[in-house]
Formats: sequence, structure tokens, C-alpha cells
Amino acid sequence: MTVQATVRPAAGVRRLRSVRSVLWHVAVTVVVLVLLYPVIWLVSTSFKPADEVLSRLALLPEHATGDNYRQVFGGVAGYSIWQYLGNSLAVSAGAVAGNVLSCSLAAYAFGRLHFRGRGPLFGFMISTIMLPQHVVLIPQYIIFHKLGLVNSFWPLILPKFLATDAFFVFLMVQFVRGLPRELDETATVDGCGPFRTFWYVILPLLRPAVITTSIFTFIWTWNDFFTQLIYLNDPSKFTLPLALQIFVDQSSQSAYGPMFAMSVLALVPIGLFFLAFQRFLVEGVSTSGLKG
Amino acid sequence: MTSRTARRGARILAGVVSVALAGVLSGCGSSSGSGGTQTVRFVWWGNQDRADATTKAVALFEKKNPGIRVQTEFSGYAAYVQKLTTQVAGGAAPDLIQLDRPTFGEYQHRHVLADLSRYTGSTLRVDKIPANLLAGGKADGKQYAVPAGQTTQMLVYDQDLFDKAGVRVPENGWTWEQFAKDMQKVGAATGVAGTTDFGWAVDWFDSWLHGRGKQLYTADGKLGFTAADLEQFWNTTAALRTKKGVSAPEATTKMDGSTQNSALVLKQAASEMNYDSNLTSYLSSYKGTLKTAPLPGDDAAHSGMAALPPVYFGVAQHSAHKDAAVKLLDFLVNDPEAGAVLGATRGVPANSEVRAQVCGAATGDDKAVCDYEQRVQQRMGPADTWQWPSGSSAVKTDFQQVYDDVIFGRTSVSAGAERVVENAQQALEQ
Amino acid sequence: MANTALTRPARQVTARPAARSRSRRRGQGAAYVFLSPWIVGATVLTVGPMLASLYLSFTDYDLFDSPRWVGLDNYVRMFTEDDRYWHAVTATLEYVVVSVPLKLGLALAVAMLLNRGRRGTGLYRSAFYAPSLLGASVSVALVWRAMYGDGGVAGRVLGVFGIDVGSMVDQPRYALLTVIALAVWQFGAPMVIFLAGLKQVPKELYEAAALDGAGPVRRFVAVTLPMLSPVLLFNLVLETIHAFQSFTSAFIISSGRGGPSDSTLLYTLYLYQRGFTDFRMGYASAMAWVLLVVVGLITVLLFRGANRWVFYLGEGRR
Repeated sequence: MTVQATVRPAAGVRRLRSVRSVLWHVAVTVVVLVLLYPVIWLVSTSFKPADEVLSRLALLPEHATGDNYRQVFGGVAGYSIWQYLGNSLAVSAGAVAGNVLSCSLAAYAFGRLHFRGRGPLFGFMISTIMLPQHVVLIPQYIIFHKLGLVNSFWPLILPKFLATDAFFVFLMVQFVRGLPRELDETATVDGCGPFRTFWYVILPLLRPAVITTSIFTFIWTWNDFFTQLIYLNDPSKFTLPLALQIFVDQSSQSAYGPMFAMSVLALVPIGLFFLAFQRFLVEGVSTSGLKG
Repeated sequence: MTSRTARRGARILAGVVSVALAGVLSGCGSSSGSGGTQTVRFVWWGNQDRADATTKAVALFEKKNPGIRVQTEFSGYAAYVQKLTTQVAGGAAPDLIQLDRPTFGEYQHRHVLADLSRYTGSTLRVDKIPANLLAGGKADGKQYAVPAGQTTQMLVYDQDLFDKAGVRVPENGWTWEQFAKDMQKVGAATGVAGTTDFGWAVDWFDSWLHGRGKQLYTADGKLGFTAADLEQFWNTTAALRTKKGVSAPEATTKMDGSTQNSALVLKQAASEMNYDSNLTSYLSSYKGTLKTAPLPGDDAAHSGMAALPPVYFGVAQHSAHKDAAVKLLDFLVNDPEAGAVLGATRGVPANSEVRAQVCGAATGDDKAVCDYEQRVQQRMGPADTWQWPSGSSAVKTDFQQVYDDVIFGRTSVSAGAERVVENAQQALEQ
Repeated sequence: MANTALTRPARQVTARPAARSRSRRRGQGAAYVFLSPWIVGATVLTVGPMLASLYLSFTDYDLFDSPRWVGLDNYVRMFTEDDRYWHAVTATLEYVVVSVPLKLGLALAVAMLLNRGRRGTGLYRSAFYAPSLLGASVSVALVWRAMYGDGGVAGRVLGVFGIDVGSMVDQPRYALLTVIALAVWQFGAPMVIFLAGLKQVPKELYEAAALDGAGPVRRFVAVTLPMLSPVLLFNLVLETIHAFQSFTSAFIISSGRGGPSDSTLLYTLYLYQRGFTDFRMGYASAMAWVLLVVVGLITVLLFRGANRWVFYLGEGRR
């Protein structure tokens, strides 16, 4: 702790610090365990045999089994789980690319360039965060249907290339504003137009915000059930959340074991993704303008 | 913005909005097929068993009809309804659609379904389907959908618990009065409520009304009961609730007809009303011995039971491949090979020949369904008075919601009954 | 900065006159090029559908037949005749008022705990984020039923304290609390944003406070909170908007019904039922527009009120 740094470090203090460190780890672990109890229960239940899944609420399975996983890997609704995984990855990756590109472009314009109507447009952009999804669903569906894009990944990805996630535009605008203005002025004096300035100066500096946007977009797209439900028809195009809900109408309780197993499997890729990038996530948010 | 660009912008905006609106307003325009092979989109909801069997049957159909490709889609019920609604409203209705009673009423009323009358008798064979069952897919004298199977009401009960209380199913079924007494007996003797509170579902009220010579909806889609009827029905359950004859509010509130929320399966009640198309689910997930009995009724003529279609198949009005869709429909319902593959995944088959074949070969849980159907055949009334009109899905939701308020004591039985009637009249007006 | 941002873009004043006018001229055209994806998206996918729904809110529209103009009928019915509408409003307000502070409180507490720069922080951070990664799938609904249903761990823990709650998810009194618990539990996103904010607090301030003899509580109140207030505002606004639109958690826990006895009938869930199960899209659109206006007003109020408590380093008087 920085507060102790003002005190001259002595052996006693160092020991005190390591004791504190142990206490800290114990405290955090306890909090983690309490908060993660439902997740742990989920994972453990995925190893319970069919007759235990709903009837036994205890944390640990009485007879652990890998049957649920074996069944999931044997295929769901006629397709292998890898196919659903691949579809989910494709949709999420496309969404990330779209959001990064379009939101950074829009953010640069809002954050740096002068143009007529900037204030009102910006205000409008922000207000679209408040729009409830179910109301625009049917008109949007009609548009995509007229474009012949239903039952493809386009309705899930194209809106991201059109910067419809106002939250991320906002995040990036805040970041762009925090960048020192001298940099792009130098570029302007050197004869760079706004496009080259954006490409060579702004975009590289946007990296932390880009990473933040990527991570949130990835996770939110990965878990987005309703949009995928509406636009994907063909089971071969299903994503993991769609494949998961096939288990809902299962007539017998034996279906819930595989469903839990599949939930755990769906959690693994984003879990790893998050574990790998979470360091940048905090950096990205803290260097963008969200502080005051 | 200069006035010119502003004007241009406004014009583009207006264009976009009008396109969006035009789409919303007309809500039609189905995509047409291409070249020699036609693609038929066939959608249903259901579990994996149903999906596996249906996919197999569809593959069989494609083999026999090389010119037709079938694109299948399926999901859970709630997801299915939202998706289908979006698709139909967006002008992208599938060609062959699985429906249940409420959705049939809604879609038929809103001209989503094609009139199949010009196919019946030729490419669509319905002569082997019992007339009372077929009537369920009719409206205004026209056939809009064909039942995919047959189901009827049942009471499924835990034999051990009933034995313990010394309760036996009477030879000719219970009268309502005997039933109430026996359920209290079970509750008193075993500590487990006699039966799941049947006040929650409009379906059981429908049966109860039929037992009294009334019905939920009249033939012209109006409300067929009064607040006094509903008050009497709910007073029956209220009297039982205090004596453990029916389940506690906490158990009743989660009822949705599914097995995982069933009070019987969760051992909060010793018996439960449901449709026999769900019997196999009960048998596979229940720990203990389950038996079936007909619904209580004051005599066989007023049993409150009917042969009903668990689901229907209908063809979209705007389908570009009606002929092919009808062909598929006919195949699914009438083809013996398809029947063998589909088994009892949508209730016992609607076609009587196919049913005889499937039931003859049935074993285990499927056989239990066939046997029950056989046993109660004499008690089943005609289905044509059981139609649910447009607005009925709102009534169904509202009915359960108000009953929640009643059992948790937030409103009185009489006030609740009046609210249901009032809301139902509004919903049916639509 | 965050506060001005939501109302208007900050004005830049540092550019030199010559470069400024040049870049401004070129900027005009270029800005629209940069904005073109957003403009297309906003017009086609947002403004168009929004105006369509505004129009529909004045009609009786069942999704299949053409809409019929009914004027203010939907709005009048909603406010005067519809009991369930008010159930939904009540449930939503309770949900927002309880869940947002709890969620932010938990997120801040965990962020404070993790902001020590000790080893393994990344792992812990991921662990705390795990509930948010789970999203709101059907399996979460079953997990929640197992936790808060009959014989679930919540009931057993409360039982230790002599409180008998029975099956919480099945009682109108407690069901909304379980939905709130789910929302609070998924506190990952505000936590990350708080962590980032905490990193920005100058260490010298803590040192100075420590030298002045300030204890941990005093340091939190005098240093952390004021320095964190812009981030707090940002989280507060986003989470409030988010909570008003909350749908999935209530949808999955109540199997789409909003029960028992309408206790978990959140606004958007009722809107969904009206639109997609009752086929009354006109009514649903009217509900959406009321929500939009109310959330907009609340957001403005939050920003207005923020002037009193949000502290901007180096900004001085606003």
C-alpha cells in the first residue's frame, strides 16, 4: 500500500506487509468463493448424472460422471458443437471488427473535427443508448428481410459496421478528446489530411480504447440471444446460445445435464478470452476519457 | 447544413422511413423459389426427440420427392412464438407452420393461414382423420389447419400415495364432489397435497365448463362463461386449498405445463391434470409409480374431456410453394412410413390407420399413452366446440396471472373472476 | 469531462488560427465521410424504426393487418385502465432503485479490494467477472431456481438466522429480490470501470491524507469518493438506463411470465408480452415511447444533480 511507502521500510514492516498480503489473499478468496458459488454449482452440476441434476441441490455430485459432456460432444440437433462454436466465433469476430472500425471513425469525427450540426447529432447519438430494443425489432427485421439478408450473419454484423452501438462511440469520443491536440496539429502542418491523420496518428493512439471496445463487444455479442434467435433460421448457422436453448423444451429432466455441460463449454472460450485480455481492459478504460 | 443538403437529407430520411413503414404496414411479400427445386421452410417447436424424428421423416420425404428441398427450423416454445411472429410480421413467414390452439386462433383470424379446403380430398387426404379432431382446424367452415396428432385430458397420479390414503379411482371416474373429497383425503393421509391446484390453467376451466354444458368460447369467438362461473370454479379450488386438497400457492404459481416445474414431479402434489401427450415426460422423469385416470366429470356425457390436437400443421397464406408444403403436410400426417418414424412425438397419430399401426407396435411409455387413449375413448366429446379464437392467448396469460393474485391473497375470488371476464372481453374484441 | 460529454461535445480552443480555419474547411467534408457509416446506421436502423414505432403508438396494430389510427387511445388506456401496466411500473421502479445502488456498491467494494496491485489480481478480476460472462442463459435460470427455490442455499443460509423464507422465486414477496440478486451479481462491467477510475487517483493525495492522520474511512470519503465521482456518475447513468431496460433476467427467471403475481413483471417484459404474445404492437410502441421519455428525463436529472457532487480535477468552477 502506498501509504506505508512513506514509512522507512524495516524488517518488521516487511513482515507486517507479507502478513497483510496473506490476509488480503484470504479475504479475496473468500469473497470470490461466496460470489462464485452459483458458477461452481453450475460446473459441478454439469458432472451430475441425469437423476441427480435437478433433484439433488447439493454442491457436489454423488456420482460424478462425464456423460453430459460426452452427449454434448456427440452433437446437438444434428450438428457438432464445434460448428456452433465456429458460428459464435465468426459472429463475434465480425462484430468486433465492425465496432472497432465504425466507432473509431465516428468518434474521431465527433471528438476532433468541426462540422455543422455536431452538437445536436452528438446528443442524438447519446440518446440512442436509451432506446428499448423490442420496439425497433420488427422494422429492422423488415429492412433486413427486404435486403435478403435474413438467415445469414449479416444482420448481426452489419449494424456494427454502421456504428449502431452508441456506447462504444461515446467511449471512444471520450478517449479521442483525451489525446493531446498537438499531435494531429503537427500532422496537419506536415500536410496530412484528416484521413491520414486519423490513420497514422489517431488510430495507433486509440489502441487501449480499441481493446476495451473489442472485449466488451466480443462478450456481449457472444451472449446475445435474442438478435441471433430472430435472424438465424438454419440450425447449421446456429450460435452457441441458440443451440443451448434447444434443450429448454426437453420433455424429460435428463436433458438438463447436457444443457449445463454445454453452458460450461460456452463459458470456456470467453473465460479464456477475458483472462488473456482483462489486463488491457482496465488500461483501456482508464486511459480513455471516463475519468473526469 | 445548407438548405439543399438539408432538403436532400430530409428526402432520404423520408424515403427510408416510408420504406420501413410500407413494410410494416403491408406485412407481406414472400420470397419466391428458384429454378427446378423448390425449397419449403418447415418450422416447429419441441424437444430433441421430436426434432430427431421429424428430421428423419423430412429426409424420407425429400428422398421420395426429389424436386422439393425442406429447410427445417425448430426451437423452444417461447422462442418459437416470438420468432414466428417477427417472421410473419416481417413478411418472411415459413411455408409449413406448427401451431397450437391459441396460435391457431390468432393466426387464422389474422389471415396468416391459407385455406386448405381446395386441397382436402385431393392432395391432402383427411378421410382417415376423425371428424371431431379435424374440426379443430376449421374456421368458418373452411379447413385452415390439419391436426398433427390427438391428445386428451388426463389426471396422472402417484399410485403409492393414493394407496396410502386408501383412495381408488372409481370405476366410471370421479364426480367432482367425490374428487374433492378424495383429494382432501390424500392430503390428510400423506401430507402431500392431493392434486396440483387446477385453477391455474384456463384449459381445466374449459373442461370444467364443458362438464356443465358450457364452454370457454362460443362458436363465433365470444366469451362463453360469466364471472359467476369462474367464481364458482375458483371457489372449488379455494375450498380444497385450505385442506391440502390442492397444492400450495408456491407450488401452483410456477406451473406452466412443463415437467420441470410440475408440482407432481417435484413431489408437492400427489396428482396433476395435464394432456396425455405429456405422459411420456412424466413417466421418464418421475420417481415412483404413476397411473392415469380420466378427468372428473359428473357423468360420461359431461366428462369435460375431448379429443384435441396437441399441435396442428398449417400452410402460410403468402407461401410461394403451397403445393409442395401441402404435400409435405400430407406426408407427415398420412404416410405410414412417416408415421413409423414420428411415432407419438406429437400425441398419438391423427390418422386412424397410422395410429393403429403405431399403437400396435408401441412399447413402454408410448404404449401407456395409447392404452389411456383407448380406455377413455368413450368419454371424449367432440372437439369442434373447443376452439380458441383470436385473443385467446392473451386470455390464457391473463387467467393465470389473475389466479396468482387470488392464491396469494392479493385479490378476492369474485374480484379476480370479474377482472378475467373484463380483460377477456377486451382481448376478444380485438 | 464525462458530464459535459453527454450534453454537448467539448469545445476545442487550442488550435492556431491558420491551421484551424484550414482544417475546419477540410474537416467539414471529411467529418461527414468519417461519420457516414454512423449516419447510414442511425438513419436506417435507428431513426426510421423509431419514427415507425412513434407512428404505431397512435394506432391499433396487430402486426399482421394494417394499423388503424386510434389517436391517444393507447396512452389513455395505459395510464387509466391497465392494472398490469402499473404493476410493471411499480416492479421496475423497485428494481431500479434497489439494484442500481447495490450493484454499484458491490462493484466499487470489489474494485477497492482488487486495487492493491498485488499478485494474482488479474486472476481474481477474471473470477469476479465470471458471472457477467455467463450472461443470461436458460441455465442461469435453473441455477437461480436451485439457489433461491425450495431447499436452495439461500433459504438454508437464512434458515441459520431463523428466517424461514421457503421458495423465494415462487413468492410475490421475494421473487423480485432474486431477479435483483441476479442483476447485482453480474457486476463485472461497472467493476472494471471503477478499477480503471481508481488507477487514475493520484497516489500523492493518499499520502498527503495519511500524513494528515486520516484513517481508511476518512481517506475513502475525502479522497477516493471525490476523485472517483465522474466515474461514479458514468456508471450510475449507464446502469440506470440499463436497469430501466432490463429484460432478460426477469424473462428467464419467470419463464417470460413476470410472475408470481406480476411481482417480476419488468416494464420491457410487459412491453414484450403486449407486443409478441398479445399481438398489440401499437400499445407496445406507446409503452416504449413513454419509457424513452421517462429514461431521458431521469438521465437529464442525474446530470443536473451531478453538478453538486461530481468533482472534476483541474476544472475548477463550471
